[in-house]
Amino acid sequence: MSRIKITLLALLLVFILIQFIRPARNENGQASTDQIGKVYAVPENVKAVLKASCYDCHSNNTHYPWYAEIQPAGWWLASHIKKGKSELNFDLFGEYSKRRQDSKLKSIANSIEDGTMPLPSYTLIHADAKLSKDEKMLIKNWVKTTRDSLSKKK
Amino acid sequence: MKILIFSIALSTLFFAACNNGTTKNQSSEEPSSAANNQEAPAATVNPAGELVNNYLQLKDALTKDNDKDAATAGNEMVKAFNNFDKASLTPEQAKVYNDIEEDAKEHAEHIGANAGNIEHQREHFETLSEEMYELVKSVGAGRKLYYTHCPMYNKNKGADWLSQTKEIQNPYLGKAMSTCGTVKEELN
Repeated sequence: MSRIKITLLALLLVFILIQFIRPARNENGQASTDQIGKVYAVPENVKAVLKASCYDCHSNNTHYPWYAEIQPAGWWLASHIKKGKSELNFDLFGEYSKRRQDSKLKSIANSIEDGTMPLPSYTLIHADAKLSKDEKMLIKNWVKTTRDSLSKKK
Repeated sequence: MKILIFSIALSTLFFAACNNGTTKNQSSEEPSSAANNQEAPAATVNPAGELVNNYLQLKDALTKDNDKDAATAGNEMVKAFNNFDKASLTPEQAKVYNDIEEDAKEHAEHIGANAGNIEHQREHFETLSEEMYELVKSVGAGRKLYYTHCPMYNKNKGADWLSQTKEIQNPYLGKAMSTCGTVKEELN
């Protein structure tokens, strides 16, 4: 056998072996009591946008794409989801202190405005997660209404 | 068969490359360790003294458009929150402190992690400043401070900050609009 063939076979073997190392899936199934919808009014159209563009990384339920089954793509996704959830988890929103909720809402509006979220590398593959101008406006207005209601409660 | 093996090997490499890319990014985000060798701030009996010192370092770095020093000061603030002596607070002061702690610490962490993105650091600095103001109002700072207002920041929405000097040095607009702002309140 030629050297190239041996190298390729070795690579194939590694590729097959890493398929058995699978990260735990971020799927909960049941609705938590601290979801943002339970603590603040989230209109249906806003909820739909959040679900399509944010929840894959910022909730307890990821809708996995087919390539999550192939390692190391699945590992890569898992690390993104872990980081995303630690920054902001819409399913635990009610657990945050009022101040933290306010800061998170502010950051949501800012990152949408700046275009840092949803991640460009994410929208590259999930074209449906890309926010249109109207959707951006919708979320920003909703953030504003929610923050106003928060500051009244203080 | 050869083509199949080759294409699988190629896709492995492709995914491995993707993976490497992200780990590299993460490590470059890590703050520099230059923070440790700073001169010790003036000794103060006030429990918020250390936090205020670090905050003022952060503010000064932002007035100079220095994102790296701002990140260093942000990380120092995280340490100051972790070492905060809650036991010395009165129940009312503790209430104020507990109210801001979680959120303020997170703002400091983000400032620490965002060297290279000074506008993002300033977004976090804005809320952090409000929280530090409330803390200082309740606990004191062990020094005289000025609560200052910049009307122009964030498309004329305006923002506030704490300063140790009466002269305006704007941390939101930096060198571009260094003297923009007015003192709202003197805190003793």
